[in-house]
Amino acid sequence: MSDVNGVRASADDRGDRGVGDVGDVGNDGDGGRWASALAHRGGTDFWRGLDELLDTPEFRARLAREFPDRATIPAEAWSRRSFLKLLGASVALAGAGACINVPDERLLPYVDQPPEATPGTVRYYATSMTVGGLATGLLAESHVGRPTKLEGNPLHPASLGAAGVYEQASLLQLYDPDRLRGVRHGGRRASWQQFASEFITPAARRQDGGAGLLLVVGPTSSPLEMALLARLRQRFPAVHVHFHDPLAPVGALEGARRAFGAPLLPRHDLDGADVLVLVESDLLGSSPFHLRHARQAAGRRRMLDPADSMSRIHAAESAPSVSGTLADERLRARAGEMPRLLAALLAAVGGAPAGRAAVPEDGRERGWVDAAARDLLAARGRSLVAVGERQPWHAHVLAHAINARLGNVGRTVAYAPSVIAEAGGRSHDPAALAELLRGGAVDTLLVAGANPAYSAPGELELGRLMAAVPNAACMSMYVDETARLCGWVVPHAHYLEAWGDARAYDGTVSLVQPLIQPLWEGRTLAELLAMLLDEQPDGRTLIREHWRGAGLPGDDAWERALQRGIVDSTETATSAPALAAGVEEAAVAAAMATPARASGMEVVFRQDASVRAGEFANNAWLQELPDPLTKLTWGNAAQLSPATAARLGVEAGDVLRLSLAGRELEMPAIVLPGHADESVSVHFGYGREGEERVARGVGVDVYGLWPAGAPPFAAGLAVERVAGKHVPLATTQEHWSMEQRPAALAATLEEYRANPDFARPQRGRQLSLYEPYAYDQGDQWAMVVDLSACIGCSACVVACQAENNVPVVGAEQVRRSREMHWIRVDRYFGGDPEDPSVTLQPMLCQHCENAPCEYVCPVNATVHSPDGLNEMTYNRCVGTRFCSNNCPYKVRRFNWFDYNAELGETERLARNPDVTVRERGVMEKCTFCVQRIRRAQQAAQVEGRKLAPGEVVTACQQTCPTQAITFGSLTNPTDDLLQRMAARRRYAALHELGTRPRVNYLARIDNPAPTPPVADARGVDARGVDAPSADTATGTTPAGGGGQA
Amino acid sequence: MSTALPPVIHLPLREPEFSDHVISPPFVESRRWWVLLVISGMGAAVFIGLFFYSVTLGPGVWGTNIPVGWAFPIVNFVWWIGIGHAGTFISAFLILLNQHWRGSINRLAEAMTLFALVNAGLFPVLHLGRQWFFYWLVPYPAVTGVWPQFKSTLPWDVAAISTYFLVSLLFWYLGLVPDLATARDRSPGLWRRRVYGIFALGWRGTARQWRQHRSAYLVLAGLATPLVISVHSIVSLDFAIALLPGWHSTIFPPYFVVGAIYSGLAMVLVLMIPVRKWLRLEQVITDRHLDGLAKLMLVTGVMLFYSYAIEQFIAWYSASPIESYQYLVARTRGPYAPFFWAMAAGNLLTPNLFWSSRLRRNQPVLFVASLVVLASMWGERFIIVVASLNRGALPSSWAIYIPTWVDWGILLGSFGLFLFLFLLFLRFVPTVALSEVRALAHEVEEGRRRAMAGGVAARPDGQADSLGRIA
Repeated sequence: MSDVNGVRASADDRGDRGVGDVGDVGNDGDGGRWASALAHRGGTDFWRGLDELLDTPEFRARLAREFPDRATIPAEAWSRRSFLKLLGASVALAGAGACINVPDERLLPYVDQPPEATPGTVRYYATSMTVGGLATGLLAESHVGRPTKLEGNPLHPASLGAAGVYEQASLLQLYDPDRLRGVRHGGRRASWQQFASEFITPAARRQDGGAGLLLVVGPTSSPLEMALLARLRQRFPAVHVHFHDPLAPVGALEGARRAFGAPLLPRHDLDGADVLVLVESDLLGSSPFHLRHARQAAGRRRMLDPADSMSRIHAAESAPSVSGTLADERLRARAGEMPRLLAALLAAVGGAPAGRAAVPEDGRERGWVDAAARDLLAARGRSLVAVGERQPWHAHVLAHAINARLGNVGRTVAYAPSVIAEAGGRSHDPAALAELLRGGAVDTLLVAGANPAYSAPGELELGRLMAAVPNAACMSMYVDETARLCGWVVPHAHYLEAWGDARAYDGTVSLVQPLIQPLWEGRTLAELLAMLLDEQPDGRTLIREHWRGAGLPGDDAWERALQRGIVDSTETATSAPALAAGVEEAAVAAAMATPARASGMEVVFRQDASVRAGEFANNAWLQELPDPLTKLTWGNAAQLSPATAARLGVEAGDVLRLSLAGRELEMPAIVLPGHADESVSVHFGYGREGEERVARGVGVDVYGLWPAGAPPFAAGLAVERVAGKHVPLATTQEHWSMEQRPAALAATLEEYRANPDFARPQRGRQLSLYEPYAYDQGDQWAMVVDLSACIGCSACVVACQAENNVPVVGAEQVRRSREMHWIRVDRYFGGDPEDPSVTLQPMLCQHCENAPCEYVCPVNATVHSPDGLNEMTYNRCVGTRFCSNNCPYKVRRFNWFDYNAELGETERLARNPDVTVRERGVMEKCTFCVQRIRRAQQAAQVEGRKLAPGEVVTACQQTCPTQAITFGSLTNPTDDLLQRMAARRRYAALHELGTRPRVNYLARIDNPAPTPPVADARGVDARGVDAPSADTATGTTPAGGGGQA
Repeated sequence: MSTALPPVIHLPLREPEFSDHVISPPFVESRRWWVLLVISGMGAAVFIGLFFYSVTLGPGVWGTNIPVGWAFPIVNFVWWIGIGHAGTFISAFLILLNQHWRGSINRLAEAMTLFALVNAGLFPVLHLGRQWFFYWLVPYPAVTGVWPQFKSTLPWDVAAISTYFLVSLLFWYLGLVPDLATARDRSPGLWRRRVYGIFALGWRGTARQWRQHRSAYLVLAGLATPLVISVHSIVSLDFAIALLPGWHSTIFPPYFVVGAIYSGLAMVLVLMIPVRKWLRLEQVITDRHLDGLAKLMLVTGVMLFYSYAIEQFIAWYSASPIESYQYLVARTRGPYAPFFWAMAAGNLLTPNLFWSSRLRRNQPVLFVASLVVLASMWGERFIIVVASLNRGALPSSWAIYIPTWVDWGILLGSFGLFLFLFLLFLRFVPTVALSEVRALAHEVEEGRRRAMAGGVAARPDGQADSLGRIA
């Protein structure tokens, strides 16, 4: 249009002049024709254009055409002005067009499509991930060669199908844009060839037997790495190898060495434990094998029928832990008091009587000890005492003694050597490393997969010592604190890029197979060791050759092991050794030697639930994962009990100055009900100073305060408030109390048995004027969450984040209460604020049949599907947020900004291609993993069959270690779902609102010890719930009043 | 009432001096007008700038969060639309009730309504996450075949506000036509006459035109009157249909309407008192008008008190822990408790000043009291919207809302936009309904004359209502 008009306008221009003064335009040739044309017309003749006036044949031809405007511009109509106009417009439009950034994308088909790879379909490969040197078997989901999700390997003993937060979040680490990209030397880019010739070759050609060579690696259980290390030692007899692990179970190994003469570790079987006594032990949350323990412990608390048996858990801990939340009898005590409690417990179950005096005759401690002892004695051989790995040696000896005396050894607990190389040895002692470095004999340092410059007691000053080594190299995923000190920095492969092996806690060998080529030239420790040995540095050859000679000679067996992820029958044998003579008495004496109330405050150093010892600090999913108890994200804070906080006059966020033995640091405080008084818990892993952009500057580094050689707690801490300094903490839950609302119901076992239908008023049909919509056609999706089983580990949160492309928003947005998690774990404290009960409730979209969100949406963006899903149509949403306002559960999440705008190229690869990435201004929320439902339905349809019960598994359900979450179709349910739907403790959260949720809960059942007879009624109910009366007929002895006492 | 009311108009009304004065008030040439225009213009620029800032970056620039999904934009929306109600109330409601004194102030009040609605209409668009799709709330025949969801109140909101704006605009304009004709005839300068002439639609003041004008005006008044009730009722349903404790309440429609008129009357007073002085309109806007508006504020204030009391009572009476917590604990002792008490005191105590006829006619008292009421009514909407969301049904999701500088900037900017439009109105549109005031003056004189002639006692308020209507 416009071009033609432009030409016309120009013609009219000339025409105007022509009409005004005909004589003037004679020189352009047409003027004469117009003049003659005009001459033939009278004054009343009208002509609409000059063409008509001239009445040329071209005009007639154009008139005859149907669409004259579509005509191409006749070449002779180009004038200078129209040309310039068009030119200008084109340039302007071209400039405007360039404002749209069209990404350079290529879509190429396979030239030779591998038979197993069909674009759009998902494949799973077995692999395994090590945390602290111990393997957890995983199944990695691969979308056309790109790992997008990790799930537990059901065949693996440490997983049983579940995965923890680290395993779930390790996917993001693979795609972390901060990862070291290629070899660096002195800050400049280099190559592996250069590294090999300039660093490895001189080191490998040493003639001193390796005396000046120091190798620092992380803890390892890998048979391949151990074999390579052995070969290295053979070749360089004097080489120093150090294993760096700030979380090594030092006390447990020392206790076992004294008790049994060998570095044995207990292997627990919670299936058989009617009574579980946890002393500063996070057996279900952070210990090795925690996923298995959690599965077993929860299995003893199903309680679908009131008559079922139920375990009882006694816990004594200085800070509430994931395991402690499940406890029926919980005592809060300082970490330093744990050995005394154990001594008293030993005396109470008939052991060395000297321990009787370890706790005062009156008080909470005695009540807890007596109740635990009663239950333990009533459940000989079916009970278990577990102690935190990092308690001092005597605590472990006392626990071994109690378990031995109760006949638990060989039943609920057995002993086996640690699978970690040289566990408990001097090569694990950071002080020995410091001494070696200080000696000055080391001229070549090679650090791989460890960060000793950061994660070691501050007084050892390992960083300074390592910096003094003339020739240093570091193999690392990131340029972390240690890598910054080393001249050579080479990339460490992520386990999803690597070949390898590792052992689970019970010795079972798991294979590590890669899902993707190394993104940034990373190599494994085995490949690095092979380079030092001048061997073939190829991971696949190394592992295959090793296992050819170590039990998997044939290719069939190898393929089978790869496919299953584990090597069968590699579990280490357990034993039931007797305690060494006199060690029990020595342990009691050692326990009694610590003063009952050490002066000053106590500080307890802990691994962080999110970033562990610091190795996951650059993982944004984990940084934004709320702590299970404090709900703190993005940082650490000194945990205090409410009473201690009141004494110090601090509130959450106030900055404290902690001083211990001359070293001090400042960090914000957080008040945690249930924490021991006069004790401060601080967490490792924050305050990073490497080049990791996510981790840098988040939280406070507490390693500096940690005294060398000490267990991870110490007395004598001085705490003072730094006046005027306050740090706003990024917590996701501000309110502790449930305010008597029927959100997370709980009852004691006794109440449950007395009134099995206590949850009845909170479920079922409600009076309504309207006939409810009949959801009876096809599958009807529903979920039941067992609050008795939830331990708050938050693996579901990360699993959902990975599955559903949930964005990370950062600390500032969390402070503004804009976190995006589709599932969260609500934590309520009840009862006495000092000794509260804790109730946890996974909260996700309840998929209400009468959904309050649906009827308020003005544009039909959230609607109900016929199979009972509350659906969100992202591209119809205009973002009124009315749905969220009207959601009683507040599970809807809004894209306040374009949270996906800043994703790097590699992070995009972590996205699940089956799930839409949401744009700014739209609402999102849990979909019941609708992509999984539809995928399964399509597969069933293609195969011409009905969907099988249990065929659809949501991401949260899949990863839950305690199987607290069950999902399925009400019209085609699994047995589990059917049983839970029929359970008498099933209820709907906030039932009275009439929303008819498809997510139901099973009320939590606790099993507190009955109050002892009056004569011994010193026991105070530590949970702060109503203590049941002493002499009820049903009696709640552990395991369901079976009368085994 | 024993006290004699002031006259509704001071006679004699000299024409054409009075019309000339209204059409070209000296004030609009003054330095004060220019200063105010520049200041309010800057405010309007801030508003427009922050509007586009928010659209560009996203609603994250405000303090809103989960659970507080609505905050300043919705508070401002409800407040502005409430302000608007007084104009329609004065012009439409009172004409039907034969309250002739309204003739002097209806033009001002209606203009205020329009400009308040301009603001009120922008906020619902602004508060969206994807503002460019706001038209999806309008029932248009889209090729997608998707209609708005009529169970939600928001599409009704759009319909109510747009209807209200159109009817208010027509009503205002229809009332203006004879005055525009006067302006056309009396304005200095050819251009002004031409422009006024276009807008006067060829008004000649013939009897036939007057007849049609009057009936059309009454019909529109009849249309506008239910809108006063319906618009804010629908706005209140944005909250009342929700499950949220604090919103889920059947008293909301009348409660919101009363509150709207209450705040609107306060805004009329805040504008009228300086306008009357600066434009020297004391002859037609008398103490009688102040008195009448103050009385209306007293009445609506008492009704508001009743609403507050019933809200609290029902919360207690419901025996619902969630409901009673919201009203009896969260509001009175929660994080926004200082605002709750301040707004309750401001709204409930202030109108009690107007039991006194002396205070009803005291301009400084009226002005300050009206400002207090305006602030308190904004606070009331803030408490309803934010404090309810802040303490929802599930305690785990409770979180504080803190406004950002953008929130404050948009609020202050909307005042600027409002004032800017109002100042332009003062300059270019006759601020007093000239034809009505002339008729009023005529009737008052007639009434007096007849009273003297026939011995009938003239009503002291000067309200000659032997005729059923004016003009």
